[in-house]
Amino acid sequence: MAPPPATQAIDVKSGAWEGIVNIDVSVLVPDYREPWNAGQPSGGSGTGFLIGKNRFLTNAHVVSNATRILIRTTNDPEPHPAKIVHIAHDCDLALIEAEDGSHFDKLKPLDFGGIPQLNTEVIAIGYPIGGDRISVTRGVVSRIDFRPYSHTSVDSHLAIQVDAAINPGNSGGPVMQEGKVVGVAFQGFSGRVAQNVGYMIPVPVIKRFLKDIEDGRYDHYVDLAASDFPIENPAQAKALGTQGEGVGVMVGDVEPQGSVGDLLKIGDVILSIDDNPVMNNGLVRFEGELMDMNEIVERKFAGDTIKLKYMRNGKKLETTVTLKRFDPYVRLGAQYNQRPRYIVNAGLVFQPLDRNLMDAHQMRDDTVNYVFDNFLTDKLYVERPEPVVLTNVLPDEVNTWITPYAHSIVDEINGVKIKSLKDVQTALAKKDKPFIEIVLLEKNRPLVLKRELAEDAHKRIMATYNILEDSYLGDE
Amino acid sequence: MKLSQISLFLVLGAATLPAQTPDAPKKQRAVAVTEGPAVALQVVQNNSLVRVNATSQPFSLHLPWQKESPSSRRGLGVVLAGNRVLVTGQMVADSTYIELELPEKGQKIPAKVVAVDYEANLALLESVPSDRQKAFFAGLKPMAVDTSARIGDTVDILQTGRVGELIKSELKIGKVLTRRYNVEGSGFLVYEANNIVRSEANSFTLPVVKNGKLVGLLLSYDSKNQVTTILPAPIIEHFLKDVADGSYGGFPSLGMELQSTLDEQYREYLGLKPDAPGVLISLVMKGGSAEKSGMKKGDILIAINGFAIDSRGDYKDPQFGALSSSHLVRGRAYVGDKVEIKVIRDGKEVTLTGELTRRKPDDYLVLPYLFDKGPRYVLMGGLLFQELSSPYLDAFGEEQRGGAILRLSHVASHPEKYEEDGRKKLVFLSLVLPTPSAQGYEKLGGQVVNKVNGKAINDLNDLADAFKSAKDAVHVIELNDFPHIIYLDTFNAERDNMRLLEGAYRIGSLKRLE
Repeated sequence: MAPPPATQAIDVKSGAWEGIVNIDVSVLVPDYREPWNAGQPSGGSGTGFLIGKNRFLTNAHVVSNATRILIRTTNDPEPHPAKIVHIAHDCDLALIEAEDGSHFDKLKPLDFGGIPQLNTEVIAIGYPIGGDRISVTRGVVSRIDFRPYSHTSVDSHLAIQVDAAINPGNSGGPVMQEGKVVGVAFQGFSGRVAQNVGYMIPVPVIKRFLKDIEDGRYDHYVDLAASDFPIENPAQAKALGTQGEGVGVMVGDVEPQGSVGDLLKIGDVILSIDDNPVMNNGLVRFEGELMDMNEIVERKFAGDTIKLKYMRNGKKLETTVTLKRFDPYVRLGAQYNQRPRYIVNAGLVFQPLDRNLMDAHQMRDDTVNYVFDNFLTDKLYVERPEPVVLTNVLPDEVNTWITPYAHSIVDEINGVKIKSLKDVQTALAKKDKPFIEIVLLEKNRPLVLKRELAEDAHKRIMATYNILEDSYLGDE
Repeated sequence: MKLSQISLFLVLGAATLPAQTPDAPKKQRAVAVTEGPAVALQVVQNNSLVRVNATSQPFSLHLPWQKESPSSRRGLGVVLAGNRVLVTGQMVADSTYIELELPEKGQKIPAKVVAVDYEANLALLESVPSDRQKAFFAGLKPMAVDTSARIGDTVDILQTGRVGELIKSELKIGKVLTRRYNVEGSGFLVYEANNIVRSEANSFTLPVVKNGKLVGLLLSYDSKNQVTTILPAPIIEHFLKDVADGSYGGFPSLGMELQSTLDEQYREYLGLKPDAPGVLISLVMKGGSAEKSGMKKGDILIAINGFAIDSRGDYKDPQFGALSSSHLVRGRAYVGDKVEIKVIRDGKEVTLTGELTRRKPDDYLVLPYLFDKGPRYVLMGGLLFQELSSPYLDAFGEEQRGGAILRLSHVASHPEKYEEDGRKKLVFLSLVLPTPSAQGYEKLGGQVVNKVNGKAINDLNDLADAFKSAKDAVHVIELNDFPHIIYLDTFNAERDNMRLLEGAYRIGSLKRLE
């Protein structure tokens, strides 16, 4: 039975909304300061809804770092343990299933609608703060725009703004219009910043996620990995040869490891994507709306191609781009469901540089901040895909002179250039010299430990500082 | 050695000297001092001091064609031989008008700066000789400079009250060390003393005396910890001697960085014997005295001018005890002096000799300080180009340091690569004024300029020249950062230049290149 129209009274006993469930989550927040520890237990609650046989859609942030997930329906107090089937942090969506799905067999999944029109009414349904039972709020569609998704803070996709109240706990719940799901409520502003501004993930983003996982694996978004700069200046238009037409946007930067790294150059003018003309401000008319040209790329999957027309030195050219994911940016955003990776050696703690690390350690060092902030803009990832930071020196007789060097980027160890945490392990395994020699980036002396002293101290430090494992390099 | 992490509590006007209740010092003094009154001692007058009132008006760093609002500074100058008055450099920085005032009578006379060294933070003032000037100085007696103060000596900070009465605060020199004064650069000698300093109206320059002789000028007072730092007589004497010889050379430096060798494992790694003295040279600056004398990175420095250097980088000063070796060059030698350096290289002792030089502010890729002059700039069609300077970067708060400013700050701390590329200054697009010819570029700012019209830009003069050689009536400006390339119509840019000169921004000149 489909839920009745938004304007009618609802009898929750009818079971119409039985497929909209409360998700109760126990969480373990990883500890990036003491990466060998388990982390901080915590918990939260959100909403999810049935979209297929024992398949519940919710937000990635509802179930991130979960150690236990329980599903409850509004008319049944019984908790049903559940687990994650697929999680997509880059678009804040997750699919979960009950360990025993039989309870939900009788329920009818919710259907999806399309992109609702501006100023049309929608309702948000879920389990927000303020009570235990199901809640409904009402509003209109206020805006349709490309927006940053705050879960990772580095991904932007289409998002729809509504003025229906969206509060903590609404996350992952459906936003409905005429009985169909038109979005997943996911983020908003605190009341101190803006009033009645809530956002939902629209159907195109949801459908893309569901399609991506059809093959049993989530492959992430693909990206052109090029930055565009509008052609508003008449001299610029003249120099680039696009005079007067209002078509074409300038390429202002190209990531060498991205999809168009070998194809486009700075100063090229992108004229069209898949035959959709690109305007001078980088917008395209797509499905009747003006949207960022990246929206066309957004709908594609890894390995898909796009047709790109562009102009170089006044000559019109055409190429086919095979799209791929651009990884280097991932570490600039928050990451979840990961055990922190680290190596401890003689009290020196090595960890890969990423947003989680920066937030946990409150890094003040100029070099660390520069490398993090300019990882993409100065293409630092090309030389150093995973910068490694000496995050801590656990004081001991062996390392007492080098404790001030914590919060430095590691350049080389024992002559091995450090491009990832794995390199630290390889470099430390080199034992041909009596000293361990660690060169730090932009620090004017190497750190030196006498190998035999360091090896003795290592065991002692592990015991003193209660470290059970001296490294975790990830599941390999 | 980079000392920027040390925070200085500069005296920036009367407000930073807290008004003390008379009871507070009593408690302190009761234990520390056995004689003299508990509160600051008052005597009638001192005829070697004049009040100095200066008006300061720096140029705007962000809108370099205009000046900031003027502010006034008050201090107490020391009368020296030849009717000259010594104050701190800070006192007269960016000054538009300076006057001397007799503390008791209130008589005033205009003065100008004869010599100033912003690194050593010292300035010498003079009034134009005239009958009035003669009359002004008639009752004043020059004060002698006394370089003999040592740790443990008791000295007085002098201030004057409303009607010229002298107010003394007694201090005991507790430490002698080197540290940065108020501009970037190497450390200078300072005396450090502990006690409460009373707050009076004049606080930008305060003399510190012992037995009627000048032992220093107040450099900073940290009211929270009651720590006073004093710019000491040896530096003052150096400055005065240098001024007296007619051509001012300034304070020399070696141009190198040291690493202490206290860490035993590091010593063993470097091949140093357990008790051997010396510090590791970790950086030798291009064009500096050290490089010219043949010093190399990796050398172990063991002696300068016959003074042995220990593993901390200190030498034993006959007067002050252990002191940073930088003072041997900076404080005890002059530009042009011969220097003898002993190093250990490949296990052997090597003696290097050379002549001491000073690195001038203009020798730096990023100007370390800028006073009395406006920042250099070129304005073209609304695009404002400047040369990067430390004051420009410092004007941004800690929280604004992301993005472009963080990138520029990083260049400022690591200029080597840019210097090797032949850049004399770092030219960057600092701001875009909204003009028709700069349409679409309004949000740019902070991008380093690489080339203009195909010509490499090593300083602003290059930029001004390059703008003369546009092809096809379009300026092509290549940037180091996104969007990497922008274009400007030459005709429209010139038209906008003319409009800017008469327009709302009150721009008097399209460039400053002097």
